[in-house]
Amino acid sequence: MEIPYLVTPRKDTGLFNSKIAIWLFLASEVMLFGGFFSAYVFLRLGADYPWPERTLPVLPGLINTFVLIGSSVTVVFAWASLKLRNWRNFQIYMGITVFCAVVFMVFKGIEYNVKFHHQAVRLKDYTVIEGHLGYEKEGEQYVLDHKGNRVEENLIFIEASKLTFNTVRFHKPWVDELLGQAEHRKAKIVLAEDVSAVTEEGKAPTVIAKAGELFSNDLLGRIQKEHLAARSHNGQERTDALRAEWVKAKADNPGKKGWQIASTVNIDAAALAPKLLTEISTVSFNVEPATKFEFKPRDIKEADGQSRLRDDTVVDGKLLASPMVFHHVDAIDFQHLAMKAEAKGLDPMQAIENSWLIQNSPFAKAAWTWHKGEVAKLEKKLLDGYGLGDDKKPRRVPTHKEMYRIGWKDLGAKAESEGGVKLSWMDKTKEEFLGPNYDARGEATFPGFSVPREQVGFAAKFTPAWNTYYALYFTMTGLHGLHVIGGALVLAYYLFFGRKMYLENPEWLANRVEIGGLFWHFVDLVWIFVFPIFYLM
Amino acid sequence: MSSHATTDTGHDAHHDDHHHDPGFIRKWIFSTDHKIIGLQYGITALLFLAFGFYLMMVMRWSIAYPHQPLPEWMSWVFTDGWKARWLQDGKVTGETYNMFGAMHGTIMVFLGIVPLGFGAFGNYVTPLQIGAPDMAFPRLNMASYWIYLLGGLIMCGSFFLESGSAKSGWTNYSPLAGFADGQIVNQWLAGQTQWLVGLVFLITSSLLGSVNFITTIINLRVRGMTWMRMPFFVWAMLVTAFLLLLAFPPLEAAGIMQLMDRVAHSSFFMPSGLFTKSEGLADLSGGGSPLLFQHLFWFLGHPEVYVLLLPAFACVAEIIPANTRKPLWGYKSMVYSVLALGFLSFVVWAHHMYMTGMGAAVSTFFQTTTVLISVPSVVIITALLISLWGGSIRFTPPMMWACAFIPMFGIGGLTGLPLAFNLADLHLHDTYYVIGHFHYVVAPGILFGFFAGILHWYPKFTGRYMSKTLNHLHFWPSLVCMNLIFFPMLVQGMAGFHRRWYNGGDAYLEKAADGVNVFGQTVAQHIDLNIIMSMGAWTLALFQIPFIINLFTAWKVGKKVENDNPWNATTLEWATPTPPGHGNFLKEPVTYRGPYEYSREDCEDDFLPQWSAPRRLDPAIAPGGTESKPVAHS
Repeated sequence: MEIPYLVTPRKDTGLFNSKIAIWLFLASEVMLFGGFFSAYVFLRLGADYPWPERTLPVLPGLINTFVLIGSSVTVVFAWASLKLRNWRNFQIYMGITVFCAVVFMVFKGIEYNVKFHHQAVRLKDYTVIEGHLGYEKEGEQYVLDHKGNRVEENLIFIEASKLTFNTVRFHKPWVDELLGQAEHRKAKIVLAEDVSAVTEEGKAPTVIAKAGELFSNDLLGRIQKEHLAARSHNGQERTDALRAEWVKAKADNPGKKGWQIASTVNIDAAALAPKLLTEISTVSFNVEPATKFEFKPRDIKEADGQSRLRDDTVVDGKLLASPMVFHHVDAIDFQHLAMKAEAKGLDPMQAIENSWLIQNSPFAKAAWTWHKGEVAKLEKKLLDGYGLGDDKKPRRVPTHKEMYRIGWKDLGAKAESEGGVKLSWMDKTKEEFLGPNYDARGEATFPGFSVPREQVGFAAKFTPAWNTYYALYFTMTGLHGLHVIGGALVLAYYLFFGRKMYLENPEWLANRVEIGGLFWHFVDLVWIFVFPIFYLM
Repeated sequence: MSSHATTDTGHDAHHDDHHHDPGFIRKWIFSTDHKIIGLQYGITALLFLAFGFYLMMVMRWSIAYPHQPLPEWMSWVFTDGWKARWLQDGKVTGETYNMFGAMHGTIMVFLGIVPLGFGAFGNYVTPLQIGAPDMAFPRLNMASYWIYLLGGLIMCGSFFLESGSAKSGWTNYSPLAGFADGQIVNQWLAGQTQWLVGLVFLITSSLLGSVNFITTIINLRVRGMTWMRMPFFVWAMLVTAFLLLLAFPPLEAAGIMQLMDRVAHSSFFMPSGLFTKSEGLADLSGGGSPLLFQHLFWFLGHPEVYVLLLPAFACVAEIIPANTRKPLWGYKSMVYSVLALGFLSFVVWAHHMYMTGMGAAVSTFFQTTTVLISVPSVVIITALLISLWGGSIRFTPPMMWACAFIPMFGIGGLTGLPLAFNLADLHLHDTYYVIGHFHYVVAPGILFGFFAGILHWYPKFTGRYMSKTLNHLHFWPSLVCMNLIFFPMLVQGMAGFHRRWYNGGDAYLEKAADGVNVFGQTVAQHIDLNIIMSMGAWTLALFQIPFIINLFTAWKVGKKVENDNPWNATTLEWATPTPPGHGNFLKEPVTYRGPYEYSREDCEDDFLPQWSAPRRLDPAIAPGGTESKPVAHS
């Protein structure tokens, strides 16, 4: 028996198999994205920080919306062409559809890329500074690290003299990284003292590695092997010893329950000692001479004297000043600070005046003074436009964001009002796509600034780590992007490899394109919801 | 009806046009035949169940004898290196216990029961019962199995990682699960992350499976198989498939978000100002919501309970009429109940969350819906019970298990009622009472249903019966041991024993009971039950051996079936050759009547199968007019 209703619909249900399947699949997809949209509502309503409203450049998103809607139309034309048995038109329309998908993903990629390089920092007093990092600016060049990459990370520097590794947990790529950094700075890492261990039961200790041996993954691996062998052996010995103790204890205490005698049952450490091998759980290396190493903040719990990496490596050495050095600052945001101040019943304006940034940065102070003037103008404009309400208060007042955030557009306007650069039409359009244009606007608009480590509360690039808004943005648009890619691959398959099926069973191909088209409409529909909640609301 | 079992060896004319030997790999490994896939699901699921059972045996040692080294008859499984890492002087540590606990739950639910009920029974029986040649999408069906296996192996493989496997309970609550294994630099190699990756695979697998099932049931029913002529089994599978289709995706969303929390350091489920002993003040943005995870998890988690249960109902509902020789009592009300059950299971999830402080109004709503959902469950179980009334019961091996299912599931269900009320739940939440309740549902309930199913359909897929003697040796000790394990849990739970005490409450005995050590008194009273329960668990394991022997030896030496319909049953799977070949039916069957036409006085035998054509000279059409000409639809 053949499986029926592959191509022709069943009479009483009116559907062929795959059409039922795609609707079911889409129902499941609705629940999947429904889960994310619910999470959006839940997290936005429950947010304890100022939710970033209308924070993304709208233009690329808007273009993408039309691109996707357009492709949804052409995919229907492609299907209709197949139904009319017009292969040439099918190729044209399906070609346009797939091309639209590519355009969509290219725009998406550009948007992502800009954010992955854009740095934000939340100071301990909840002032937020946004911009780009760049260490040790030498001339106009960024400093390169030992791999030749531009250093634009948030880094912690330690002048290390000694490294102690956990022989089980050390992370091999980090060992290579430390070696690379040491080589780059012309330092040597050598074994601090002889490593000797009892490796066979009852024998004298043997030397596994000699002091002065060069640090490497191989050396650590060798010691690790001995350690693990000893650990297994000792574990077995200790288990046997404890079993024997229990047998004895039960014989000595008839009628007693396990938990009543448990505290008296212990391994006789002295008797066991000769049977055990040496476990080498840590091994130390000297850095000669003491040298600066850099670490990412997430990898290290830093302290002056002794710091600890995530893989349990202990770094002995001096903690160096590790400020976050901004090449450009393109936004200063007091929204979070104001929100915290209001929650405590303080005057937000006063709190801003007292903030570390205003106290320490003349530029920030000037920008804030100018911004207050702009807010006053806006207040007046709103009052003139909308007047007073019945309660004798203005009908419209500036929003929280308008009052407390000095964004890159504001900084640009400030610079222009003070006789700074005026942008060409081209440069302005570029800004609408990519955000602040440093090259065109220059130092005067977006100056550099250095934040001492002790003021840093939380720092991240504009990635999912920065806040739940960006986490949702990347997860939802990323998942949507995967759907676009998947759908486009399937449609492209029909376009490039569908000819054979078209000649054999054109109706079947039409059905498949119909299924693909239904999925494509769904992908479009998701975007219609995703676009406003992230770009417009 | 033929007096000998037919076999479909491919010489049948109908199959000549595509008669070819597919070879071992295509036939048994990468098969697209729903019956082979069903068997693959079944065997894999049984192996996972055995593994999950083993984890539990180790945990039960830790609970009963927390200070004594794991005995060699359990610990020989591990390598010396593994033992040195995870056991302390041979004793089970708290961390290891957590790991085993989390994986026991995960394996039993996601890798054991669901694949056995839905994957194995559903796959094998559903297309046969609706007279379809195969699933609507055979290759999708194969993909579904392989993705499931891959997901399961990823999850279980994490036992061998430096981090060990997931250890935050099968519910995987954030922020605990978000931080667990945080010391591992490459988060993709942390057990807690691999749990999530495995989960995404499992959800993909069940998505493919459920789409396939629903399409098959809607479109591939054979001529005459109207909705109300479908066996209850098929209805239950249809509802199960819908639950999987719609309830799993929100968990996938939660899984992806938790994965982002782990590998991209986002804060979906991480609140502001989170401080832990190991990490200090978390280097995270915060602003997320742990409660959100629980909502998304239980939105799956509760329907999942019915995904486990309905296939067991389905098996029992087929076995009881065949062995009482009497129609299923209240077929229609059972069908409507199962539909209501499916719908209601989507609106009860937060009864798992009374203790989270959602607010009284929300709790009241979910309390109401939870009490409501017990109505359709009780309708079904009552219908099954009444089906026994006045029947001429044959205590065949499957029937023994089916009969035990009813009271065991009954205890499981009724002990759930106090948990539905949030006032009572305040006391019982997270105690062994909860463990006792759902294990009564799942272990002696659902698993007994599945044992019944295996015994019932075994003659169809092998042509031989399983041994009665071995079955007795399996059934009676299992019944006793199950109650020995789970009934004391209800007692301990009411005394306040917490479900996650790895030492069985032993720590509370070190000091005298007083105002601070409030558990001391009750723990001393009930701690000895731990030993009884653990003994029960290990004995239970011992008495699964007859089943394993039976399962594999009966294939070769079991008593041969006399014909294609050894139980004299009425549904379509018994109209196929034994075992059914690829394509199932020698000739497309036609359905003439409902699925449970037993005790008919108008025919030679006491039953009329669905496929048996009505004879013009038959004395009478049954009152109520269930007999009819086939409904044309194609």
